[in-house]
Amino acid sequence: MTLWRPLLGLAAFGALWELLPRIGAVPARWAPPLSRVVQELLVEVRQPRFWDAIRDTLLTWAIGLGIAVAAGIVVGVTIGAIPLLRTVTASTIEFLRPIPSVALIPLVVLLYGTTIRSALVLVVYASFWQVLIQVLHGVADVDPVARDTADVYRLPKVRYLYWPTALPYVATGVRLATSVALILAVTGEMVIGAPGLGKQIWLAQQSDAVPLMYALVLVTGLIGVAANVLARFAERRALAWHPSVRREVPA
Amino acid sequence: MLIVNKLSKVYDAHGRRVEALADITFSVAEGEFACVVGPSGCGKTTLLRCLAGLLAPTSGTATVQGKLAVVFQEYGRSLFPWLRVRDNVALPLKNLPKDERRAKVTNALEAVGLTDAAGAYPWQLSGGMQQRVAIARAIAYGPKVLLMDEPFAAVDAQTRADLEDLIRDIWQRLGVTLLFITHDIDESVYLGQRVIVLSAAPSRVAEEIVIDLPDERDQLTTRGDARFVELRGRVYAQIQKAKRGST
Amino acid sequence: MTIVRRIVVLLGLPVALVAGWWFASAGSTDFFRPSLQRIMQAFAETWLGPRLVDEVLPSMIRFVLGYAAALLIGVVVGVAIGLSPKARATAEPVLEFLRAIPPPVLVPIIMLFTGIGDTTKIIVIVSGCVWPILLNTVEGVRAIDEVLAETCRVYRIKPLRHLVLRASSPQIVTGARQALAIGLILMVISELVAASGGLGFTIRQFERGFQIPEMWSGVLLLGLIGVALAGLFHLAERRTLAWYHGSRDADRK
Repeated sequence: MTLWRPLLGLAAFGALWELLPRIGAVPARWAPPLSRVVQELLVEVRQPRFWDAIRDTLLTWAIGLGIAVAAGIVVGVTIGAIPLLRTVTASTIEFLRPIPSVALIPLVVLLYGTTIRSALVLVVYASFWQVLIQVLHGVADVDPVARDTADVYRLPKVRYLYWPTALPYVATGVRLATSVALILAVTGEMVIGAPGLGKQIWLAQQSDAVPLMYALVLVTGLIGVAANVLARFAERRALAWHPSVRREVPA
Repeated sequence: MLIVNKLSKVYDAHGRRVEALADITFSVAEGEFACVVGPSGCGKTTLLRCLAGLLAPTSGTATVQGKLAVVFQEYGRSLFPWLRVRDNVALPLKNLPKDERRAKVTNALEAVGLTDAAGAYPWQLSGGMQQRVAIARAIAYGPKVLLMDEPFAAVDAQTRADLEDLIRDIWQRLGVTLLFITHDIDESVYLGQRVIVLSAAPSRVAEEIVIDLPDERDQLTTRGDARFVELRGRVYAQIQKAKRGST
Repeated sequence: MTIVRRIVVLLGLPVALVAGWWFASAGSTDFFRPSLQRIMQAFAETWLGPRLVDEVLPSMIRFVLGYAAALLIGVVVGVAIGLSPKARATAEPVLEFLRAIPPPVLVPIIMLFTGIGDTTKIIVIVSGCVWPILLNTVEGVRAIDEVLAETCRVYRIKPLRHLVLRASSPQIVTGARQALAIGLILMVISELVAASGGLGFTIRQFERGFQIPEMWSGVLLLGLIGVALAGLFHLAERRTLAWYHGSRDADRK
């Protein structure tokens, strides 16, 4: 397991970020060197508003994700388990799914103002679809032989059939929803003004605090990476014991 | 023709050194049909891949004179799923003028009995038919040497019998040099003019057995023939010896 | 009988929902939640006119340009990285970091360089769309069946031309589909943040000016555009990936 290549890549990226602004290849006013950004970050880390913002973003993200996953699983398993429901709702789902979450922004601003709740609605809406689609695929993927077996032995289907089959898909859905949720949380904060990292970035932009802006973007990116890694780890664990490892179904 | 001289291949798998081939030396004359058999894991596929130029030997040489074609065991994965059968067969011939290409494709498909399936996609066909497409593609390419890596291992017995006869028929008509790798002892004796038995890994050539059965062979009578049974027994005994590690 | 049944199944629930919305909101005096009838009226007045060309069309053109650029960059770079395990290992952590940055967050940064014009909006769209395409392309190229690759080597078939793109196209399409949704979102956001015209900007103006039915109608239009794009994508995908769906179905049997 060679680590030097990935580290080399990161180092090269860092070096470019440091050098290009310094030699003037990129205007330093618009793109401060990495060291300047880190410096700014170290100052910002001492401000309570920084940690409040992180807390707000993480809360919005986690709560929204939680609601979306729960709703997605319940709705998905219910619809998936009842063939009639599946056929009747199929077209509605296909119509509602592509509606961009940003379309809700004006509505949500009107109804809930610039509170966390606004961002939360966006997060739940966008993440719900990710989970629902995967769960529906999962339930549809049930092995017909397994279903027949469950019928013969009168096993409760949801517990012994649908849930185990759908579990890897649920894990994939959660992974997809995780990154979508973070994007929408930060977007909501930036565009609506709900409290959080997104709002801090917007404020930094308004007050022309360019290094601070970059520092906050860096932090957001790192949070995103951490979230992705966690979600992928959880997904691999859910898939590991599952007999047939499945690929992500195109959402 | 085909010459293998002191071929050895050592893999580096997860820090362990795996010596698949130790010292393989044999040759196949032009137009000859030779089969390679050996115990499981003796490196038959490695040998073929060295011959095909897909793998570099650790030492020694594996040379093929003339254009070569390969028919893989996993027929399903060797055909391009986005191309129809006739386009699959035609793909290696893209440098030829259209008419010549079309003629070769038609002839090749006819030779394997798949003229009707020319417009189908490979995944619409059965396993045996897919392998025929792979064979047709190899034939159309016009090779001097044909390497086949356990091509019939993954088809059912009935289809295998048909394909065995098909390949002998094609070999006789085209006069290619054929190296056929198999783990099926009966098949190797039925098909080949010579059977090369490999030892267990790290493999060497354990024995080369000349199959002096008549050129006209058929599934029913040849397999019941006394000489067939005798040769088969020899190969079997040799493989048992090879499995136990004595060369 | 089956045609009728299929139409009922297909349209039944949507029609029922729309009808329910219509009647539930009819005669509504809630300022923030006007009746569906009023919204439809505003839709016709607002969008079926000069605004379609002045605001909606430029938005869609920017979207198409940004999406196309993202496709080109994503596939070219993705193939280059995917073909080389060394390049993949080197680039992976950097790509992971860059793609984890929520694209809207980059808008202020992009605005620093290119102001609030069309260029910014297109770059914003590219900055978000390129990641799912690039990463999925890398994955698709990486997962090309080695038997196919070996077949190309034996028969001297040029893999770049005949194998790489086709074999990885299912995975690329997955990325392109994700990028479609992201692109639409970014199109709107770029107009909300770099406020100077476009569909998203117009909707926001309505919201700020408390022209509520107009705002709702804009939201509706966005939804319809999303659905239409998804539908177009589905049609395009069915044609280019017909072989893939066929072979997957065959595998399943």
